[in-house]
Amino acid sequence: MAFYITYIGIGLALFGFIALFALAAVYAERKIAGFVQDRLGPMETGRYGSLQTLADILKLIQKEFITPAAADKVLFIAAPVIIFMAVFFGFIAMPWAPGWVPAALNIGLFYVLAVVSVDAIGILMAGWGSNNKFSLLGSLRAVAQIVSYEIPAGLALIAAVMVAQTLNMQEMVANQGIRATVPLHFLGVWEVTEIGGILAWNVFQAPHLLVAYVLFFIASLAECNRAPFDIPEAESELVGGFHTEYGGLRFAFLFLAEYAMMFLVAMIGVVVFLGGWNTPLPNIGALKLADWTTGVIWGFFWTLSKTLFFVGVQMWIRWTLPRLRADQLMTLCWKVLTPLGFLCMAISGIWRVMVMV
Amino acid sequence: MESILFYCFATVAVGTSFILVSMRNIARALFLFFVVLFAMAGLYVFALADFVALTQILIYVGGVLVLLLFAFMLSNKELLNQLQAGTSHFFALPVWQALTVALLFLGVLLYAALQFDRHEPQWIAAAREAGTVITPTDRTVQHLGIHLMTRYLLPFEVISVLLMMALMGAAHLARKGGQT
Repeated sequence: MAFYITYIGIGLALFGFIALFALAAVYAERKIAGFVQDRLGPMETGRYGSLQTLADILKLIQKEFITPAAADKVLFIAAPVIIFMAVFFGFIAMPWAPGWVPAALNIGLFYVLAVVSVDAIGILMAGWGSNNKFSLLGSLRAVAQIVSYEIPAGLALIAAVMVAQTLNMQEMVANQGIRATVPLHFLGVWEVTEIGGILAWNVFQAPHLLVAYVLFFIASLAECNRAPFDIPEAESELVGGFHTEYGGLRFAFLFLAEYAMMFLVAMIGVVVFLGGWNTPLPNIGALKLADWTTGVIWGFFWTLSKTLFFVGVQMWIRWTLPRLRADQLMTLCWKVLTPLGFLCMAISGIWRVMVMV
Repeated sequence: MESILFYCFATVAVGTSFILVSMRNIARALFLFFVVLFAMAGLYVFALADFVALTQILIYVGGVLVLLLFAFMLSNKELLNQLQAGTSHFFALPVWQALTVALLFLGVLLYAALQFDRHEPQWIAAAREAGTVITPTDRTVQHLGIHLMTRYLLPFEVISVLLMMALMGAAHLARKGGQT
């Protein structure tokens, strides 16, 4: 029976981590917004406003559950749970450090993609259940966007998987550093299996994977409804998008899901393209930097720091770029990103057969 | 433990399908369909078809169900009322016919199951002898990939042509009238 306790413990630990991350990320987001817009951001609660998000969440927890009279009660209540669960389940297959992965699935990456796509159903549920035209429009926009951008994101990931030859995320990470079981080549020419570090990451395994990563990053911004693709919750047009009618703890869960999704997509990018728990420092001759900075604790450190860096980039982009119009959004997805994705996939196939033999 | 989970999934799948077909509210029925698909995916996992289970979630839940919901939410209310009334529906059979078809199908299934129990197919016995049975930790994706690219290449390609035709048809239908 002991392993059931472990399962529950891991689940609780992941939930605790996501909650803490969301608290910190909301604060960071507001501070970054303040920095970009040349103001201070939250300053009142605690030193430099550091207790602001804690105060916010306490307020949200105390609030009454309000269900609109005309809402479809079952769908309205179930929606935040499904949205959050979809993202939360995605974390199960993510590797954190050598040997530290909640579930080393053989088809881990595919599992994450499949489970995260359930998110769309939850959003539609929220939009329809609220019985509010702003919510419905917001959810339709959100889902149209998520379903479309899943295609370039998936194609970019397939391009990387074709080079990595595995869907098991733990193996995929292991094969991007000094613990690789297959020979690694920097840009297909220079053998770097012993050197490791940044040179062995998937983005540098083949030149087109750098393009694939950028593609994945753009598509992932759209998948978690972040600016510049935030028309689903465009405040100036739609009040608040699909979560207009939500308040209190339910809204807190939607918010938590959004931030968890940001972390998850950043982490998928890091694991598949940027070496996951592998160190960026290479072995240089007698200076075994890569050997010294690989291990369980270092693994957690590198995974977290890389992922948080990309979450930071997502925030920076949000407060810098203006929002795309709906037609521009679809044009970008179907006429630019999808063909590029197919191109990357085709090059991966050729690369695998011609270069990596 | 596994068999308890299996029966849970099976009960959820069968139970929700019953509720689904007897439901008048189409929106809720579609969302219940999501539960049915999920439970089915769970059953696929028990059949060691993890890839099929995830494909089911990715394609049916993430794609087809979303399209169904879109079609439902964007269609005319009058049309929906007519659908919900039931009897004018094209596929609506009188009750006794539907029951006969369902019972016959159940009979076929039962017959197949009984036959299967009595004479186990030879290929299963042969695979067990040869030790080529799939175990839960096997990598099914690689088998699938190799078979799709060698043994089942022709069906695979034919399906891709079919999908291409569907795409072209959709693009043609979506065009504005004057440009055709």
